[in-house]
Amino acid sequence: MFLALKEIKKEKLRSGLIIAMIVLISYLIFILTSLALGLARQNTDAINSWHVDQVTLNSSANTDMRQSFLTAEQVGKLTKKEALIGETSVVAKAAGHKQLSAVFIGLDDTQFVAKNLVLESGHQVKQAHQIVVDDSLKLEGYKLGSRIKLNDSQTRYTIVGFTKNAKMNIAPVVYGQLTTWQTLRGLTNGPVASAIVSQNMHYKTTKQGTKTYSTAKVIEKLPGYQAQTTTFVMMIAFLMVISLIIIAVFLYILTMQKLPNYAVLRVQGIPSRVLVGATVSQSVLLVVSGLVFGTILTIITALVIPPAIPMAFDIPVLSAVGAGLLVMALIGGLIPIKSVLNVDPVSVIGG
Amino acid sequence: MSSFSVKNVNQIFGTGTAKVHVLHDVNFEAEPGTLSLIMGPSGSGKSTFLTIAGGLLTPTSGEVTVNGETYTDRTKKQRDALRLDSIGFVLQTYHLLPYLTVADQFKLVDKVKPNGNLSKAELDDVLETLGIEQLINKYPGELSGGQQQRVAIARALYPNPAIILADEPTAALDGSRVKVVGELLKSLAVKHHKAVVVVTHDARLIEAADHLYEMQDGYLTKK
Ligand SMILES: Nc1ncnc2c1ncn2[C@@H]1O[C@H](COP(=O)(O)OP(=O)(O)O)[C@@H](O)[C@H]1O
Ligand SMILES: [Mg+2]
Repeated sequence: MFLALKEIKKEKLRSGLIIAMIVLISYLIFILTSLALGLARQNTDAINSWHVDQVTLNSSANTDMRQSFLTAEQVGKLTKKEALIGETSVVAKAAGHKQLSAVFIGLDDTQFVAKNLVLESGHQVKQAHQIVVDDSLKLEGYKLGSRIKLNDSQTRYTIVGFTKNAKMNIAPVVYGQLTTWQTLRGLTNGPVASAIVSQNMHYKTTKQGTKTYSTAKVIEKLPGYQAQTTTFVMMIAFLMVISLIIIAVFLYILTMQKLPNYAVLRVQGIPSRVLVGATVSQSVLLVVSGLVFGTILTIITALVIPPAIPMAFDIPVLSAVGAGLLVMALIGGLIPIKSVLNVDPVSVIGG
Repeated sequence: MSSFSVKNVNQIFGTGTAKVHVLHDVNFEAEPGTLSLIMGPSGSGKSTFLTIAGGLLTPTSGEVTVNGETYTDRTKKQRDALRLDSIGFVLQTYHLLPYLTVADQFKLVDKVKPNGNLSKAELDDVLETLGIEQLINKYPGELSGGQQQRVAIARALYPNPAIILADEPTAALDGSRVKVVGELLKSLAVKHHKAVVVVTHDARLIEAADHLYEMQDGYLTKK
């Protein structure tokens, strides 16, 4: 530690440049992770906000809620832990506004999903022509009391409430009543919902033509979701590997330049252990300071980023990524250790 | 008993046709308070001798003893410790760590070997004798060659070793400084009661020496 600190202090510019490089790498990885997470959440925020464990769908719906229909008979009797969901894609229109693709979710206002919906402003849906919408619609200029048309029906729906984090398939969610869902789908008789969601981990349907999935399974099957997350995970993984190589190369060069000095210390009887300690602690000091500054930059970014950009700053995920970077850097810092151990003190005794 | 002795040391590098017999039955002793000078042309085996004397290389045969402790047959770690404790090296180029101030060069020794080093007063005395007490907060890069060499000598003295081994200490110095360094090494021996062994091909150091040896094709003879 002594040697490491002294060297960083003396070589301010060199250490500063290496720290700057690590700051940029960690900042890049943090921001990309947050973007990936933000985008992933836009697929699943709504479903996550319901805190459900099991989803029952029509068995021929290919695990897609939008393609699923359940009849009253298929739904059967429900407990307080189950709720019905009617999902469909809609286009929202209003005079003076751009058309907006959204996801309509019909709820039964006596069941837990509707009851537990956390509103930012306004009140819950009480009638068929009322809706509660994701607060991203505020950015489009909608307010409480704004009236919108869904698809090409002439009916106007009034926004009576705003809720946060209501996103599904990267589109804002419009919550309404199940009967509205039936109307939008043109189903006057027959299907009563798309899905039964349950907070009971052991909920299982026995009805003909239905199948129960875990929520995780349904999310995984969201169209495009897996392709998107795989792409991001691969990108971040490659970035990690590339940063490992870059950091390793820099630390390697840094150490190689010091080998003649280390040889002298070996002549003087300073044990290899001290030199290895100096090398490793220097790597750790540089990487940790880089990560700290990268984190500060990320926090600043999180504070100033416009809400329209889908970024999610999740502390556990970012900590894991930071720890990953630290491990990568440590591996990078360990590579030159072999050269440090093999320093030949004899080389210093002049010819 | 002498503080430092080399007995019947032979050094052979390589095998078969590439075999080189570099040191032949070398015997050498040094007493505290004396300066021994080993002279010899380039390639005669001086550096090999110093490497073995300093415990950096185990000789093909023979033994080296410092204060009654034998080097030979010791592990690398034990030899490190013995070197740190008992041998001060003064190298051809001064080889101070560029990122440590003069004061920190000594502090590093304290970190590795907390006991048995010079006390603050003793160190101040050494620094004053060497005329470098003003330079304590400077980095080696801010010092002249002669100043760096004096710092390197102080650094070698700091762990209070029994012997000081110097490898061509005047190689990088101009004429006027050679005499100064010779006197310095001599005063080290006398004032600090060290066995000082200097390996050189610089004949200008002869007047400072108590004992003079000559290395010729791997044979060491006393003059
Ligand atoms: N590691 C080695 N392998 C083979 N030969 C060596 C090695 N080290 C030194 N020598 C040979 O030993 C002889 C003495 O070298 P050295 O001790 O460096 O002499 P000096 O320091 O007096 O110039 C030279 O002929 C040199 O080539
Ligand atoms: Mg030599």
